[in-house]
This record gives sequence, C-alpha cells and structure tokens, in this order.
Amino acid sequence: MGFLDIDNTTKSYGSVEVLHNVDISVEEGEFLVLVGPSGCGKSTLLNMIAGLEEITSGEIRIKDSVMNGVHPSKRNIAMVFQSYALYPNMTVGQNITFGLEMHGTPKADREIAMRDVAKLLQIEPLLDRKPGQLSGGQRQRVAMGRALVRNPDVFLFDEPLSNLDAKLRVDMRTEIKKLHQKLGTTIVYVTHDQIEAMTLSTRIAVMNGGYVQQLGTPQEIYDSPANIFVATFMGSPAMNVLPAKVRVEDGLPHAEIILHDGSATLLPFSQENLAAWEGKEILLGIRPETITDSDGADRKSKNIAQMINRIVVTEPAGSDTFVSMQLSGKDVIARMRSDAEVRPGQDFNFAVNMEKAVAFDPQTEARIQP
Amino acid sequence: MSVASQDTAIRTGRITRTLIYVVLILFALFYMLPLYVMVVNSVKPLSEITGGGMMNLPREFTLDPWFKAWSSAQIGVEPTGLAPYFWNSIKMVVPAVAISTVLGALNGYVLTKWRFKYDTILFGLMLFACFIPFQIVLIPMARMLGLMGLAGTTWGLALVHVVYGIGFTTLYFRNYYAVFPTELIRAAQIDGAGFFQIFWRILLPSSGPIAVVSIIWQFTNIWNDFLFGASFAGADSQPMTVALNNLVQASHGVKEYNVHFAGAILAAMPTLLVYIVAGRYFVRGLMAGSVKG
Repeated sequence: MGFLDIDNTTKSYGSVEVLHNVDISVEEGEFLVLVGPSGCGKSTLLNMIAGLEEITSGEIRIKDSVMNGVHPSKRNIAMVFQSYALYPNMTVGQNITFGLEMHGTPKADREIAMRDVAKLLQIEPLLDRKPGQLSGGQRQRVAMGRALVRNPDVFLFDEPLSNLDAKLRVDMRTEIKKLHQKLGTTIVYVTHDQIEAMTLSTRIAVMNGGYVQQLGTPQEIYDSPANIFVATFMGSPAMNVLPAKVRVEDGLPHAEIILHDGSATLLPFSQENLAAWEGKEILLGIRPETITDSDGADRKSKNIAQMINRIVVTEPAGSDTFVSMQLSGKDVIARMRSDAEVRPGQDFNFAVNMEKAVAFDPQTEARIQP
Repeated sequence: MSVASQDTAIRTGRITRTLIYVVLILFALFYMLPLYVMVVNSVKPLSEITGGGMMNLPREFTLDPWFKAWSSAQIGVEPTGLAPYFWNSIKMVVPAVAISTVLGALNGYVLTKWRFKYDTILFGLMLFACFIPFQIVLIPMARMLGLMGLAGTTWGLALVHVVYGIGFTTLYFRNYYAVFPTELIRAAQIDGAGFFQIFWRILLPSSGPIAVVSIIWQFTNIWNDFLFGASFAGADSQPMTVALNNLVQASHGVKEYNVHFAGAILAAMPTLLVYIVAGRYFVRGLMAGSVKG
C-alpha cells in the first residue's frame, strides 16, 4: 500500500477507452512524473486523481481511503494548472487564501498561512497586486503558493512550466525541485518534456496511447528502456535505433551493421543471452553519447567497439558537437566533445560503448531483456 | 512584417481625406436632423410652430412644453402628464433587466461550465426565443398572465419582458463564458467553492463587459417596447411608450406639437443616457471573445 494508489484504473469516454488499466503506487514524499506525447492520457489521469474526471473502473486511494466519487475539495489535494488559473479579479493574497476561506479557516489563520507561503516563495511584495500585473514567473509562484498554503497530502502539477520562456523554465524547474527537497511533499507532475521528467522526478511513468509504457527511476528509464517508444521518447537527441543481425563469434553475440559504403562490421554485445537470436534481425539501440571518438569513450566501460564510418554532417552546439552518419540505412547521431576534430566527409574512427547498447525485438518492439 | 503592412496600408492624400470628411459630416447632419427638429420645436410656443417655419430656431425660448408634457398634459382622460407613466416604465424596466441579465448569466454559466447531455440542443432552443415575433405570443401570454393573476400589473409586464429577454441574455453570456478559461473553474472547485460561490466570486466579477451589453440591450428593448405595454398593461401600469402614444394621438382639442416633441424626447431620454454612460463598453463587450487575446 502506497501513499497514493492508482489501482487498475480505467477511463472511457462512451465506448472509447482512453486509459487502460493503469497501476501506479506512489510512496510518501515521492516525485512522480507522468510523461508522454500529447493525447497519451497523462492529463486525464492527473484530473482523475484530482477528482475533475470520473473514474470509469478501478480505484484511486489517497492514504488508503478510496477517492472514487469524492469531491475534489475533499481529497486534500492541490493543483497547479498549466495556465496557472489565477482568479483575475482577486489580488495575489486573495488568490492564495481563497481555498482556505472556502474551507472555513478563520481570517487570522489565513493571514498567517499566507505570510508563511509568501515568504517561502519570495512573493511578499506582490500580495496586493492583481494577477494581470505579474510576469509569467511570478504568476507561477503565486499558483504554487495557492497550492502550498493548503498543506495538502498530494500536489498535482499539470504542465506548469510550459507557458514560460526557456530560461525561466530552467530556473523554475530548479526551484520546484528545491521546494520538493525542502518540504518532502508527495507530487504528481504531468509534462510532455522528457528533460523536465528526468531532472525532477524520483520516478517516471512514461505513457503512450493510454498505457503506462514503463514505470521506473529516471536512470532505469534512460538506461533500460522497456520498449522502442520509451527509448526514443526519453533522451535528446533521441536514441538511435537501427536494424542489425545477430552473429555469434567466439561464443559471443555480435551485432552486424552496415557502414556507409555497404560493408558490414561487427559490434560485440555485452548482453550474452542475445546469442539465442543468432541469425535473426533485431533492432539495435545506441544512445548518441555512447558513440564518440576514442579519446572521449567511457573509461569505465569494459566493452568499447571501434568502427570507421564516414561523417555526413557536423553540428557544433557549443558544449557538444553532434555528428551524423549512415548506419544500416538509418541516420545515426553521435554526440562528441566540442573539441573533437571532425569534418564532414571524413572517414572517422568511432568508439561505441556497447555496454550501454540495448536490443529490441522488431516484432513486439519490446526490449530483449538481459 | 512592418514593411509589408506599410505597403498595403491605405494611403490617403489630403484631398481624398477632406472629401471623406465632408461626406461623413453631411451624413451626420442628415441623421441629426430629426433630433434638431424635435429639440428646436419643443422649446417654441405653439403659435410659432403653427405659423410655419418648422426648421427655424425659436424666436421666443420657453420650457413650458417640457413642464406640460411631464406633469399636466392630458393623457387619456386624466391631465397627469407623462410623469406617472415614466415611473411605471422604471418599475417595469429595472426588475426586468436585472432578472433577465442574472438569469442569462446563470444559463451561460451552466451551458458552458457544467455541460450536460443535449446542452447544445437546449441552447439552440433558447436561441429560438430570439426569433419569435412578439405578435404570435400575445394571446397565449395574455391567458398565462390571467391565470397567474398578473394581468394588468407592472409585475406581469416585467415577467413578459424577462421571459422574452432570456434568449438574448443567455446567448450573450454563453458566448462570453465559452472562452472563459475552464481551468479557473476547476481551480475553484479544488479550492472548495460550490456552484454559486464560483458564479458569484469568480465568474460574475469578470463579466463586466458582457453584463453592460446585456443591460443596454435589455434596457433599450424593454423601455422602447410598445406592443406588450399596450396589450398587457392596465390603466395604472401603462409604460411611457403607451402614454406617449396616448398623448400624441389625443383626438380632441388643439394638437400641441411642442408638447408632443418634448414628451417624445422625455421618453427617449433614459435609453440615450444608458448609451452615453455605458456605450463604450457596448462595442467592447460585443467584440469580446470574437478575437483571441
């Protein structure tokens, strides 16, 4: 039993099922991020936790009490919306205390709670202003203040950073993380931004098409993606996925891939059970940062394979340089240090960290588990 | 962008501009003519009007026609002037406008934020009310008022106007609230506000522009209505419009045109005032929601 249990929960609109048997258990103090492309059902799930959408079947429990059919205001949750949803006719102070007022908290207590939250979020000078007079970042803080002041069991965030510009988004991201570390509250956070998901969460649920594709810590999701969707959705640039044939040499499985000139090369797998796939096609997944020059290769890795391939395009991005090439007929991106000496058209000796390589079944698109 | 917009902007020379203004001023003068005639003749003694020269400025200025129209002109059988009927109209208009506007706001709130099955059909049917000609409902309405015991009363008239106005006010508020962010309603729900608390505390304070539209529209229509007033009002609940008609149509004695003009201006005054006070919100409110931002 967790702190927040989503137990075999389904959501249908008429005969269309949009969420299929979702099972997530969140511990107290956890920061769960629901991530996925638009239309994957993540916001619907959040609204079901909030009580803004009915639960078609299954149960949602907070602190072991069933929340199905319980009014949003009686669930002891607070929500931060994408548009912040600040009441335009009220001052910042009134916005923050409105929920307390509706719950019948005496005025003096409301005042104290408001001061505490304003101090925590450093919005004390804004208390008498209207939301229309605030900047995006300030509105964001007020929206969080409105959630914090009620001291809820669970915080729900619905894409709270997507209306901010790039720089502010990074700042607020850090701020939310700090706040979570300081207060140790339980948070469920919805985003379509995989970097937000990776940086903020203690656990991620990657969703697509109404299914939870994978539930795990950021590291698990990144290093051991359960299927091709998770592998390519998480990470930027996305993981390279290319067809390869399994060959066994010296008792060890290798991936046979085709270089730019049509010749084949063998990359040795670290995952030994792939020998069972001998002669069969698989999909090989390699993260861009695991393809480097020899100097940049991971020194801790026990399995660095070399391959010579022609560089098609180089894209210097300041901190890194992205290099693209052709492998098995696919465009493959490598992430190099910015000082790597690479030129387009050059035949370059790449080092591939095969310890981090993953293999997928081309039929089911699921990972071939080690 | 700015270069392109400069190229396509309408460039007008001094001559075309002058021409446009001359034409516009001529039109404006033409439209103002009736008001000019009314004002000028309402401050002349009757002899000046009957002597010809309706367009002339008054040689002798007098406010007597105004006082007469207000307090002592013969309306029907009583020489009461328009004053009591003016108050009848006020007593009818204020509750009718207030109630129809509040009900329209509530309808709009429910139709956009508390959606239910077939709500668009219901809204469509309510829109229908905007297209029903007054004449069709005269007899059934008279029967209903009779059954309710409201026949011939100011409250009955107010009720008729509320019923007729709800279609319009619902249309206004529904369209206004359709673009009102639903997340605000959800936030308020999570904060623990109930149906009416959300309405009073969140929605209504943000409804200024559309409320003004609704009030102006309802006020003008109800104040200017003649048919319902003539059909359903009793002798002591007749509105201003009916009284004005009785004043002007009186078939005995001399036709006091100056008094008639003064009375007509008095009857038009409240709607004019409402437009002047709230008019600038009117267009703004009508446009609200039609353009994003």
